[in-house]
Amino acid sequence: MAHDHDHGHTAVKLEYQPALPIGRGKLCLWLFLSTEIMFFAGLIGTYIVLRFGAPPESWPLPHDVHLQEFIGAFNTFVLICSSVTIVLALEAARGNHAGLSKFWMVATFLLGSVFLGVKAYEYNEKFKHGIFPAKPHSLLYEKADLNYVAAVRQSLAPKSLALTEKLPELTAKRDPLLAKLDAGQALTEQDQQQFTELNRQLLPNDLQYDLVQWTELIAAKDPDQAQRRRALESLAVAIYPLRPLGKEGAEMEHHYVQMLDEEAKTVRHQMQELEKDRSLAQNELAAKKAESDALTAEIAPVQMQRDMIQKEIERLQKAETTTAATEEAPSNLVSLQPPATQPPTANPQVEKLKTELAALDAQLMPKLEAQRALLAEQQRIFEREAAFTTELKRYQGRVRLLLYTLKAAPHGLNHTFSELRLPMVIPSGNMWASTYFLLTGFHAIHVLVGLIAFVLVLFYKLDRTKAHILENVGLYWHFVDLVWIFLFPLLYLF
Amino acid sequence: MADLAPTDPRYPGHGYDPLGHGDEHGHGHGPSGVGKYVIVFLVLLGLTAVSYLVGNSQTLREKSPGVMWAAMMAVSCAKAMLVILFFMHMLWEANWKYVLTIPASMMSIFLLLMLIPDVGRRVDRYSEERWLYAAQPDSNSHAVAKAAEQHGHDKAGKSDAAGEQPAASH
Repeated sequence: MAHDHDHGHTAVKLEYQPALPIGRGKLCLWLFLSTEIMFFAGLIGTYIVLRFGAPPESWPLPHDVHLQEFIGAFNTFVLICSSVTIVLALEAARGNHAGLSKFWMVATFLLGSVFLGVKAYEYNEKFKHGIFPAKPHSLLYEKADLNYVAAVRQSLAPKSLALTEKLPELTAKRDPLLAKLDAGQALTEQDQQQFTELNRQLLPNDLQYDLVQWTELIAAKDPDQAQRRRALESLAVAIYPLRPLGKEGAEMEHHYVQMLDEEAKTVRHQMQELEKDRSLAQNELAAKKAESDALTAEIAPVQMQRDMIQKEIERLQKAETTTAATEEAPSNLVSLQPPATQPPTANPQVEKLKTELAALDAQLMPKLEAQRALLAEQQRIFEREAAFTTELKRYQGRVRLLLYTLKAAPHGLNHTFSELRLPMVIPSGNMWASTYFLLTGFHAIHVLVGLIAFVLVLFYKLDRTKAHILENVGLYWHFVDLVWIFLFPLLYLF
Repeated sequence: MADLAPTDPRYPGHGYDPLGHGDEHGHGHGPSGVGKYVIVFLVLLGLTAVSYLVGNSQTLREKSPGVMWAAMMAVSCAKAMLVILFFMHMLWEANWKYVLTIPASMMSIFLLLMLIPDVGRRVDRYSEERWLYAAQPDSNSHAVAKAAEQHGHDKAGKSDAAGEQPAASH
């Protein structure tokens, strides 16, 4: 050793360094982190371009998808705290304070668990409202089109079908209450309760007919395209309205309720027209009925006369055949001949009656014909009247839906009757759900891995010799925090 | 290996220390060890509050969303720098840190740039058919009306057709 030193004065001494001047574990962790940087940069970049590349104005607002900013902010706070505690754990370990270090590590572990717990709560909140990244559970639709209405009908079908048996009984109970309301009378409290309860029980059926079928009919029949589109959109709004928070949203809601009232008014007006048409049809039917009654009265005596003549002829012919039979009974030859072809020299009295009968028939025929035509027409008018009646019932149902169901659910049917879980229109909602669950999911997996590492570290005595382990775990954990620092504003605030 | 750690520079407890501060090196810089972390922590909290307030500012969102997004990203970058420099000790590491961080950052930036034409501008190349099933913007929104005016009747007609059932539009 001393020998070496002597020569060191003259020769240039180069220190050979075989690798980066850091420990292997730390080097590996940094290499891993640099791949992680690229991984999350790719994910976040994709999110940014998807979010800003979405069809204009279609990205959902946070509360549209049950995202609460302050929860995200709280989670950010939790992660920052955990970053500090793990740094403090490292410092304590370097200072050889094993107990203190362990304390800070436990704190870090708990904070990480809190983060995951909050995340689980948030996910559950989404799932509860039918926001899933993919189809079998997802209730998200991109736009209010026929495809969407069909999905709503399908989702209501089983519940509406299950009601079929109870339907007459329930409607019979509700109709008098409804009539009272229509007449402008106030319901007693008990009646009001019963009415609400009945409405709730009948809801799937009401929605199926007065909301979905109503909309489908307009969408299929209305010649005006704007009208068709408006009908589809108002269905989507009734189920899940997308409104901003605050004053603007409140104004929109107020406007929506007003629109419901207006539509009810228009429908009622149309009902009056329909009623007019129906009463016209009823009058017409009554007139036709009177006409046919008169005709029947005319026909009846003639018919009676005809019947009498017929009987007379029969009686005479019977008498004749019996006399003929007694006269010609001995002759077997003659009796073989049928009696009908027998007498050209028939009874003149019968002949006379027969001409009379023919005359009456000629008189009766056109009248019977007219009566048949009248009956057919009556049938037609009756059918028309029945159609008016069903149409009126349909309009009545619509008014009831507008005034007593939709007006009671201005925040949307899915909000007020959450058990329905109807498909809802959130433009770009599917893309939102995919990116949200992917990004937060990958981040949550990283948090989980961190927690596992913490548990493993906690088995050691965390003194100076274990400081390098704490440093590496800490680097990883800070990176997890770093990713969340970007995810929070991107997902919750953008 | 654990026995080697304190003495052998190749297995250092917490990074190789060319300046020879030994095990106490972490305490040699800036304010006292714990104090600087507390300061950084408070600054981080303040920045989080700033981005929360900016993100919830309705006026900013309506008048200049671009400024809002840029501000939030700037705040996020500042927070990230603080975490990297202080919590991850990058401030005190030797020059090897650039060997890892610069290539990784460049790669990630290229990655973003490569995504833009494929994903970000995909709406520009939507076919008629694709528009039929695309998300429909909220028709109540003023911005949509404005956009429709700017794009002229062609685009407006397109989005109208998009609102219809496929059978009706053909």
